[in-house]
Amino acid sequence: MAIRCQFESSSEVGVFAKLTSGYCLVSVGSSENFYSVFEGELADHIPVIHTTVGGGCRCIGRLAVGNRRGLLLPNSTTDQELLHIRNSLPDSVVVQRCEERLNALGNCIVTNDYVALVHPDLDRETEELIADVLGVTVFRQDIAGEALVGSYCCLTNQGGLVHPLTPIEDQDELSTLIRVPLVAGTINRGSEVIGAGLVANDWSAFCGLDTTSTELSVVESIFRLRDMEPVSFMSEAKPSLIENLA
Amino acid sequence: MVTYNLKKIQTVPGAKELIDIVLSKTQRKTPTVIHRHYAISRIRQFYMRKIKFAQQTFHDKLSQILQDFPKVDEIHPFYADLLNVLYDRDHYKLALGQLSKARSLIDNLSKEYLRLLKYGDSLYRCKMLKRAAVGRMCTIVKRLASSFGYLERVRQHMARLPSIDPHMRCLIIAGYPNVGKSSFMNLITRANVDVQPYPFTTKSLYVGHMDYRYLRWQVIDTPGILDKPLEERNTIEMQSITALAHLRATILFFLDPSEHCGFSWEQQIGLFHSLEPLFVEKPLLIVCNKTDLPWQSQVEEQLNALVRQESNHSNSLDKPVLADGWMKMSTLEKTGVVEVRNTACDLLLSQRVESKVKGPRAQSILNRLHVAVPASMTHTSCDDQKEEESQGLCRPFIPESVWKKKQENKTMEEEEKEPSEEDHRKDSQKILEKDLEMAHGGAGVYSSDWNKHYLLRDDSWKYDIMPEIVEGHNILDFIDTDIDERLAALEEEEVAREAMSENDEMEGLDEESQQRLQRIRDKKVLLIRGRSKQRNPIGANKMTKAHPKSSQEWRKQWLEMGMDKERVDMTTKQILSHRSQSREPSKPRSQSRSTSTYRWNQTKAEAGKGFVNHQQKQKALHLARKT
Repeated sequence: MAIRCQFESSSEVGVFAKLTSGYCLVSVGSSENFYSVFEGELADHIPVIHTTVGGGCRCIGRLAVGNRRGLLLPNSTTDQELLHIRNSLPDSVVVQRCEERLNALGNCIVTNDYVALVHPDLDRETEELIADVLGVTVFRQDIAGEALVGSYCCLTNQGGLVHPLTPIEDQDELSTLIRVPLVAGTINRGSEVIGAGLVANDWSAFCGLDTTSTELSVVESIFRLRDMEPVSFMSEAKPSLIENLA
Repeated sequence: MVTYNLKKIQTVPGAKELIDIVLSKTQRKTPTVIHRHYAISRIRQFYMRKIKFAQQTFHDKLSQILQDFPKVDEIHPFYADLLNVLYDRDHYKLALGQLSKARSLIDNLSKEYLRLLKYGDSLYRCKMLKRAAVGRMCTIVKRLASSFGYLERVRQHMARLPSIDPHMRCLIIAGYPNVGKSSFMNLITRANVDVQPYPFTTKSLYVGHMDYRYLRWQVIDTPGILDKPLEERNTIEMQSITALAHLRATILFFLDPSEHCGFSWEQQIGLFHSLEPLFVEKPLLIVCNKTDLPWQSQVEEQLNALVRQESNHSNSLDKPVLADGWMKMSTLEKTGVVEVRNTACDLLLSQRVESKVKGPRAQSILNRLHVAVPASMTHTSCDDQKEEESQGLCRPFIPESVWKKKQENKTMEEEEKEPSEEDHRKDSQKILEKDLEMAHGGAGVYSSDWNKHYLLRDDSWKYDIMPEIVEGHNILDFIDTDIDERLAALEEEEVAREAMSENDEMEGLDEESQQRLQRIRDKKVLLIRGRSKQRNPIGANKMTKAHPKSSQEWRKQWLEMGMDKERVDMTTKQILSHRSQSREPSKPRSQSRSTSTYRWNQTKAEAGKGFVNHQQKQKALHLARKT
C-alpha cells in the first residue's frame, strides 16, 4: 500500500527519506512524526535509521543513492555520519563515499537492484563505483530531456514512474533498458518531480500528502503494491484518468 | 476557471454604522489640534486632509462591498439564475448600482469642497466648509439605508448556499416531492440531509460529495417539483429548475410507482414530460423508488414505452441521452442503490470523456495513459526464477517477514473477523519513536537514541564512545588495517597492465615508428613533469592567471613559430622600452585636495593633543597657570 505522509508540512518526502529494499534512511526533523510513519510500516522488516548526510544536511534523499546491496554518499559526508550509517546498516550493504563533482547523487542517479540510470555528465570513475558498489548495470540517460534522472524518476525492481512529459517512444526505450514496466505520471497533485515526492521499494511506497487518489492508484498499480497488473489497471482507469487530466 | 466563494463576502454595515465607522476613523486617523493663529495654509491643509480622508474611507468601504458581491452578468449562468430566483436580479442590480453611484457622488463632492477650501480665509470658514462636506457625504450614505439592509440580507443568505462547482462532475436528483430523493442522497453521500415523511422537506439545494472511480463527484439534492406551468412555480421549485437547466450533470429522475408519496402515477409522468426540454443533451436515468411497496400492474409497461419513446426521440433529434432503460431501487431496504449510482456516474463519465477525447488537450496526455512494458515481459509470463533471469528480468526482493504479514492480513480479511484483543494488544505494544517522544516531553525536548538500533557484533559496544582524533590522526583514516597492502597490490596490477598494453602497442610497428612512439612518450612524461613543477604545490588551481612571460620567452616562442628575426627583435625592443617607462603619478596628492583649515591648524598645534587649535591650547594653559 502506498502511504501519504509529510515532513514538517512539506510534501516532498523523497527529499527527506531514502528507501530501498534493504534499508531506509530518514532525515531528522523537529519531531518524530515523519520517522514513525516509516518505522511503523517498515521496522519489522528492514532497518529504519535516522541520519544526516553531508555535514548535517537533512535532504538525504537528494544526496545519497543506494539499493539493497550498497549505499553511495557524496563527498561532503563527514566521517561521523559515515560511521553512524555503517554501524546501523547490516554488513551486506556496502557503504561508500564518492568523490563526484555533481554531489547531489540522489538527483543524478536513479537505481533499482539491477539497473541504474545516471546523469550524462557524471565522472567515469563514479560510473565504475556505482557499478561496483551497487552491483548494477549503468546507463547514461536523460528522462524527457531532463538530465537529473534521480529527480524526475522513481524506480523499483517491479516498476517505475517517470516524468509526465516523457514521450511514449522514450518510455518504451527506457523500459527495455531497465527491464521493468514504466508509466509517466505526476505526484503531489501534479508535481513533476517524481523523485522528490515519492519513495518506493518492492513492497511499499510513501508519497506526499498532496497526492490525489488518482495519482496514488497509479503508483500502487505500477509498483505492484496491489494484486493487479499495471496494464489491466491502466485500461480500467482510463476514463478516470482522461477525465482528471484533460 | 472562476471559483465561486460566496462565503467570503464581508459583512455589509448599515448606513448609520457606516457613517459612525467613517467619522470615528477620520477623527482617529487625522490630526485634531489646530489654532487660529496658525498660518492659513496650514489651517487649510488641516481641513483638506480631513475631507480627503473621509472621502477615501467612504470610497474604500463602498468599493469593498461592490467588489465582494458577484456580478450577475459575469458569473456562471447557474449562479446568475439562482441569484435571480432567490434575490430578484433587478433588485440586486439596483442596490449595487446605487452603491456605485453614491461612491462617485462622494468622490465628486469631496473634489468640489477641496477646491472651495482653497479660498477659505479663516479657521472658522475652513471648518464650516469641512462640516458641510462631511455632512453631505453622510447624507448621501444615509439615503442608501435600504440598499445596505437588502445587501446584508442577501449576503447572509448567500453564505448559506451550497458551494456547487458548476464545472465538476455532478449528479442531480429530481422528481416529485416525497419520492425519496433525500434518502437516496443520504445513502450515497455523507451530506446528512433532513429526511421526513412529508412532502417539501427539502426547501433548497443541498450538495453532497462522494468518490467513485478515483474521482470526486458532487450530488445535488433538489426540492420536489409539482407539475405546473413555469410562471406559477414558487422560489423553492425554481431552484430545482435552475439546477436542472444549467448544470451539465446526470439527471436522476425519481418516480414513485406505489403512489405512496401522495401524487398519482399520471401526475408524475406528466411532470417528466413537462420537464423534458431541460433534459436536452444530458444523461438521464429514470429511477423507480420504493420497490418495497406494491406497484400497479401496468407501471412497467408504461415505463418501457416511455423509455422507447425517449430513445426514439433521442435518435431523431440527437438530444436526451437516455440510459438503456429505467432502474428499480428501494432506499428503505437499500437495494439497487449502488447500481443506480454507478450507472448514473458511468453515463456522465462516458459523455464527458467522449467530449474530452475530441478536445485539444487529449493529445498531450496520451503518453500518460500508456504503460511501457519491456519486450521480454510481454512475450511470456513465467514464474520460474531461472527463466526470468535468463531473460534478464528484474526479480523483486521482498523479505520473508513481509510475505508473512501479508498472508496474515489476508486470512484476517477472509475470516472477516474483528481484530481480536490479542492483535490489539500486539499493535499497541509496538512502541514507535513518536510514542517515546510523547512520553519524554514532546517534540523539541525529546532527542531520539540513534545508537539503539546499531547492528554490531557485540551489543554492549553500542554505546561505546569512539574518539575522533588520536595523537593528531583521524581515527577513521585507519579503519582499513590492510589499506597499504591493498594499495600496493593495486599499483602492481596497474603497472603490469600498463606494461602489457605498451608492449601490445609496440607490436606490429616497424623500427622507425617504434622509436618515434618512444620519443613521443618520453616527451609526454617530460611535459607532465614540467607542468607539475610549475603547479601550485598546495593544490592544482587551474583558474589562476597565466603568469606573464618575459620578453626572452616571447622571443623564443616567436622564433619557434617561424617569425621574421628582424621583426622579433623590434617587437621585443618595443616591449622592453614600453615596460621600462614607469608612469609618474599625474598630480601630487596634496595639491589636488583643498586643505581644510581644521587640518592646517592641527599641524600648528604640536605642543599637545586634545585641543581643537593652538589658541584653545594657549587658553587652557593660561587657565591652568592661573588656578
